[in-house]
Amino acid sequence: MMKLLNRIPALIWPRFHQKRDEHLNPYYTFQDYGQTWGMTIFILMSTALLPLIVMTLIYYQLIETSINTESLLRTERLASNARRAVTFFLEERLAALTFTANEMGYDRLSDSDRLTEVLQNLKLGFGGLTDLSVIADTGTQVTYAGPFNLEGKDYSNQPWFMECQQHNACVSEVFSGYRGVPHVVVAVKSMRPDGRFYVLRATLETERLIQALSSFKTGEHADIFLVNRDGLLQTPSQFYGGDDHHVNLTLPAYSDRTKAVMSTDRSGQPVAIGYAFIDTEIAPTAFILMVVKQKAGMMKVWLDLRSRINWLFAISAIIIIIVIILTSTVLVNKIFQADRQKAETMAMAERNSQLASIGQLAAGVAHEINNPLALINETAGYVKDLFMIKQQYKEDTELVEHIDTILDAVERCGTITRQLLGFARHFDVQTQPINLEDMVADVINFHKKEAEYRNITIHVDIPETIPLIETDRGKLQQIVLNLVNNAFQAISNGCFLDIQAAMDGPEHVRLSIRDNGCGISEAHLNKIFEPFFTTKKEGQGTGLGLSITYGLVQKLHGNIRVESKAEEGTTFVVTLPVQLKKEIQS
Amino acid sequence: MRALLVDDEQKFALMLSKRLELRGIEVDVFFSGDKALETVEQGNRFDVAILDVKMPGIGGIELKRRLGALDAQMKFVFLTGHGFNRDDTLGTHEAVDCLPKPLKIEELIATLNRLTEGPPGTYNDKP
Repeated sequence: MMKLLNRIPALIWPRFHQKRDEHLNPYYTFQDYGQTWGMTIFILMSTALLPLIVMTLIYYQLIETSINTESLLRTERLASNARRAVTFFLEERLAALTFTANEMGYDRLSDSDRLTEVLQNLKLGFGGLTDLSVIADTGTQVTYAGPFNLEGKDYSNQPWFMECQQHNACVSEVFSGYRGVPHVVVAVKSMRPDGRFYVLRATLETERLIQALSSFKTGEHADIFLVNRDGLLQTPSQFYGGDDHHVNLTLPAYSDRTKAVMSTDRSGQPVAIGYAFIDTEIAPTAFILMVVKQKAGMMKVWLDLRSRINWLFAISAIIIIIVIILTSTVLVNKIFQADRQKAETMAMAERNSQLASIGQLAAGVAHEINNPLALINETAGYVKDLFMIKQQYKEDTELVEHIDTILDAVERCGTITRQLLGFARHFDVQTQPINLEDMVADVINFHKKEAEYRNITIHVDIPETIPLIETDRGKLQQIVLNLVNNAFQAISNGCFLDIQAAMDGPEHVRLSIRDNGCGISEAHLNKIFEPFFTTKKEGQGTGLGLSITYGLVQKLHGNIRVESKAEEGTTFVVTLPVQLKKEIQS
Repeated sequence: MRALLVDDEQKFALMLSKRLELRGIEVDVFFSGDKALETVEQGNRFDVAILDVKMPGIGGIELKRRLGALDAQMKFVFLTGHGFNRDDTLGTHEAVDCLPKPLKIEELIATLNRLTEGPPGTYNDKP
């Protein structure tokens, strides 16, 4: 479990941020992996999140539009129902008056007792009537039935009376009139037998109307009321009444149909306003029915839903982002690893070709030098021979020393040319089955005395499962010998040398030779296989040992690499094909 | 001990022959394989042949084969300026003695003595 937890940062944090080998830089396909990673994440996020965001916004827009439409429809329906109720209320009373006027006629209605009787009957039938009166065409009240004695009053200047003359009937605005009580006057015009007209008038309590309207009120934020065409409130408004009894909303333009619009109230809140201009069949009225609903109230359900959608959106976005980052990191890591392998291979190929051409050059030079060198050797040797034979020079030790100097120098040159030639030899490879364990033991035997003397522990671990290797004995022996020699030179007394073998796949065997000696600095690590590279003092090493080893390993179709840390030790790893011939054929 | 020395490097061959003679070895020097073959065909016998591997005309390895056919008793030592070790087999499957140039005279003498099982020859024994 802990292991898994420890791996998580490595999964998210890209591996290419780790320091990489400077010498591989020219071989990478992508130089800036951070940028590649960032771009990948950016592009993926854009393509994944942008449509999601756009879809969500469009969805919000659609929902809002449909909610607006729905609330307008509902408001309009409500207004329409209320209009029908108000219209019916007024028309019913106008019809009752018309019936009364036609049934009773002027003569009977102008009888005060009869009129009172009619009022009683109307009150029983409809209710909500305060009084009833008959007014002559001059505007003078002829008879009156009701709680106030208003007989003889002149109405000729009242707007409702004038309207009644024109339209045969009228409905007044709500007004207090002479009585100081809000009421509505409804009146019908009728003809007397003598051709003159009279008006039958009734006063209605507004209470009935208010009750009828408030029964349509639904929801907390709905308001329903009547205004006249100047905006004066005719029935009380819960929310939109001003100080001067005017409604504080913009009045809609005239329409003969019920309508609903979106608007804002004085405080800027969006509202849906449904309205209808009330007209009865026989007479127009000044009433405008208004239904006002606050949008916020209707939106509540949607707002709850939207907050849930927002949460869902946020969680999906986070999941998408995490998946994108993880996927990008894994993919870019894979690309980086492949790229690094490619870079390593290319770097190695370049080094191989460099080494090969250096080797050819070196071999050519060595060959040309070798013959004159052999001649110098024999001539100087002959001179020495002569000196040693002739007694007169034999005693001259200085002369003999000079010649020995020449011979020593030639011997050193000879060693170098031999090694150079060995570096690029083209002799055939002879394969034979070799037991790796025996061969390593043979090589170790060379160094047994030195190891005992220097107190160096040599540990060999070659499992019995390693099969016989078909390869060139001489070359393999020299490879191992060179590497062991090398290790012995690198370690100080009391250190250890560890030789291990293991299978590397079914067709290759891996031999590693590890010491805990002085190690190789990073700057030198890339050069150690180059000919003439040495860290030893001049004259102490030719710098050819490892380059020859390298050439030999190549000849055996193997691979050699080195891992080292200064002051910690060095490991050389040689990988060889188990069957060289098979490898050559393939 | 009588030796046959064949090397196209004339000065080298002469110097080496002189050094060997100083050490009591009778040396016949030839600068090409043809001449050496002629001598042996004429009936001259040698205990050992010292051959350069790479020569114009008949090379050392071919020469060994043909000399061996003429005289089965003859022993061979190769010299080479091409740097190979005695482990190598010159493309044949027989073990041979092969010494790199520049030579160590003591090494050559030791090899010759081993091959012919003759007395050790050093200049100190020579009067």
